[in-house]
Amino acid sequence: MARLAGLLVLSFLGLALFYPLSRILVLGVGEGFAKALANPYYWERYLWSLEYGLLSAFFTLSLALPLAFLFRRRFPLREAFLALSTLPFVLPTPVVALGFMALLGPRGVLGVDLYGTRALLFLAAVFYNLGLALRILLPVAMRLEGPMRAARVLGATPFRAFLRVGLPLLLPALASAGLLVFLYAFSAFGVPLLLGGPRYATLEVEVYTLLAYRLAFPEASALMLLEILTLGLAVLLYLRFRPYPLPPGELLPASWAWTAGLAIFFLLLFAPLGALFLQADPRALASAWASEDFTPLSLALGNSLRFTLLALLLALPLGVAYAVAARGSRLLDLLGLFPLMVSPVAVGLGYLLAYPAWRGSLPLLLAAYALLAYPLLARALLPALRSLSPNLLQAARVLGATPLRAFLRVEIPLVFPALQSGLALALAAILGEFGATLVLWRPEWTTLTLAIYERLGRPGEAPFKEALALAALLALLSGLLFYFLDRGRGRWG
Amino acid sequence: MLRLLAVLVFLALGWAQEITVLTHSSFSLDKGLIARFERETGLKLRFLKGGDAGETLNRAILTKGAPIADVIYGFDNTFLSRALEADILLPYRSPEIQNLKATLLLDPSFRALPVDYGWVSLNYDRAHFKDRPLPKAPADLARPEYARLLVVQNPATSSPGLAFLMATVARFGEDGYLDFWAKLRDGGVRVAKGWSEAYYTHFTLYKGDRPLVVSYTTSPAAEVYYSEGKYQEPPTGNLFPELAFFQVEFVGILKGTKNLEGAKKVVDWLLSKPVQENIPTEMWMYPARRDAKLPEVFRFAPEPVGSVRLDPKVMAQNRERWIAEWTQVVLQGQSPEAVRRGRR
Repeated sequence: MARLAGLLVLSFLGLALFYPLSRILVLGVGEGFAKALANPYYWERYLWSLEYGLLSAFFTLSLALPLAFLFRRRFPLREAFLALSTLPFVLPTPVVALGFMALLGPRGVLGVDLYGTRALLFLAAVFYNLGLALRILLPVAMRLEGPMRAARVLGATPFRAFLRVGLPLLLPALASAGLLVFLYAFSAFGVPLLLGGPRYATLEVEVYTLLAYRLAFPEASALMLLEILTLGLAVLLYLRFRPYPLPPGELLPASWAWTAGLAIFFLLLFAPLGALFLQADPRALASAWASEDFTPLSLALGNSLRFTLLALLLALPLGVAYAVAARGSRLLDLLGLFPLMVSPVAVGLGYLLAYPAWRGSLPLLLAAYALLAYPLLARALLPALRSLSPNLLQAARVLGATPLRAFLRVEIPLVFPALQSGLALALAAILGEFGATLVLWRPEWTTLTLAIYERLGRPGEAPFKEALALAALLALLSGLLFYFLDRGRGRWG
Repeated sequence: MLRLLAVLVFLALGWAQEITVLTHSSFSLDKGLIARFERETGLKLRFLKGGDAGETLNRAILTKGAPIADVIYGFDNTFLSRALEADILLPYRSPEIQNLKATLLLDPSFRALPVDYGWVSLNYDRAHFKDRPLPKAPADLARPEYARLLVVQNPATSSPGLAFLMATVARFGEDGYLDFWAKLRDGGVRVAKGWSEAYYTHFTLYKGDRPLVVSYTTSPAAEVYYSEGKYQEPPTGNLFPELAFFQVEFVGILKGTKNLEGAKKVVDWLLSKPVQENIPTEMWMYPARRDAKLPEVFRFAPEPVGSVRLDPKVMAQNRERWIAEWTQVVLQGQSPEAVRRGRR
């Protein structure tokens, strides 16, 4: 059964990922590369993307590291805070961008206009990735108490113990977290597109602009190739870092003061979301519902829900099949991670190149959604599947169940909580998908994310208010979805 | 919402034949005219707005395999070659062609039919320049005291932006235009993504801080028309007819339409006298028909004398390079010399 599942995943990956990427490669190397690389403008885009990735990683880590040390303690509401810290990660990029505009934009709550500055872009990156970095650092930070105490017993000052024992043990986790943040920020699309303007366009934004406005396939491919190569390098590095095996540590005692302090921190962190809801006007929602100037909310909402469900029908079997196949195969495990490395815009570009006859047809968009979502589902499922004892399956087989029946009736119920978490992630990813949708879009397919973008493209108070209201609605939808399916368990990784 | 549902139901049951018209986002026509056309032909019209004119055309090209519409409206002469080369249009010799101004028929294969025309032009805010001197010649714009008053559109993302760029190429020449733009850049010209952002957020008339904006020769007349009596005279004016750029907008039938006869009817209708006479006060372009009368308010929109016209072939050959060079100089800050060296 694992083999069949592997075959299914591999053939999907071949059609939906590797073949389209190979088309980018061929076109990028063939026509565009020399032309694009001779242009210093593109190099500047590349350098800026690098800078955005690296500095975002730096800022995120410098906040996540002290935070991880705070979370080593047991204090009231600790789990709730932890669950909260990962919330931004499932928020659609237009929601985050609008949140920052509501807080620090031209009509922002704070009255400080940072729109179009680098500062705003870095703030958004930290907001996005802090929870992710914390999740990676925390397990290691919690195991440091033993070694550091040993160092202090041997006479080291607390500072020295941290510097000479704690930090070196943390390094692999720091590197992993930093590389992940780099990956996400370097290939960021939604946030720089909406908040950055032409000056702070990342490679990803530049590729989209080249496609949408100039139809310059060779140059777009060349830039995308450059991006994929850089991402690939970062992933290779990422795979090299393994945490030191340390015995699990225990939570240290703490008091309500900790809760109070962190509450203030999270209030600050979530200020953009707060500003978004503060500024979102229900009346704008009403005017957006049957809007004549833009895609009416009724249509956009329907599209979002319809596509999400349809894509899930594809992503769910793929995710489960991949988890089953990857359980016993390291190679498949790595291959299945690939979709996480390519950007949505790359996927869209690849599809346009690989399947010209299918341009503008729904299966292409759904395939892109499924491709981008199934690894999230599978990553949540895989650890749970791996932790199951093979005896259970064997017992079911001995009692006469077919392999499929044993899987469906024994294993799936046991990993159901993990499956739910994965489902929540996959759903949130599809619901908030922006880049691939924008490339593969047809006007009548405008989703909620695109409806927000469409309104932002028009100046004036009214469209902006509608965009804010739609973003708040989308945030609410993703949040609710996540709450009901995941309930803050969040055991993905 | 109800109407939408009704449209969907009709679509599903195949009762009414629907014709989809892909347009740029400034498209607008009188609702009564549309309703009358639908009643008379039994066709149902749906208008899809695809963004800027260039973006809309690209969307049509990108969905060639499964066309998103039957008719496309509003791509202009700067993009004509792209539409023809991409081979997305069907030839149609509409019986209305004989009524169109002959100079507008730029496509001998009759795949792109002219539907309206106008001029992209520099507008200034009269209130701001009441006691201040206006620039005297196009070259003066590059002086710092005027450059920092000007907002233009990015030619990579906006068709009036592209038109204005082409006007500067025609005016200052292949070598000179980059020097002109470099001076504008150093002087602090602002670049907006599209026309509406430039006009409605950066132009002083709408509480922005730039009294000079790239817009259309008809914009001052539109201000009077929409002011509901507030303005007897336009609050804005046109500057430098020699920098105005002649723009023709086209309509065409998209290859792969499921209803060719219906699409032809829509094209004929768009070129018919009632629609052509409605275009000026809806989209602020001039009608392509010879016999279409202009509304009274167009006395504030005189046709510029000595405006720029570029050969479509020259535009087709150089468009991408001009945009790239402009980007290098204005957005990236390269020197014109370096960019010119890069041409070789």
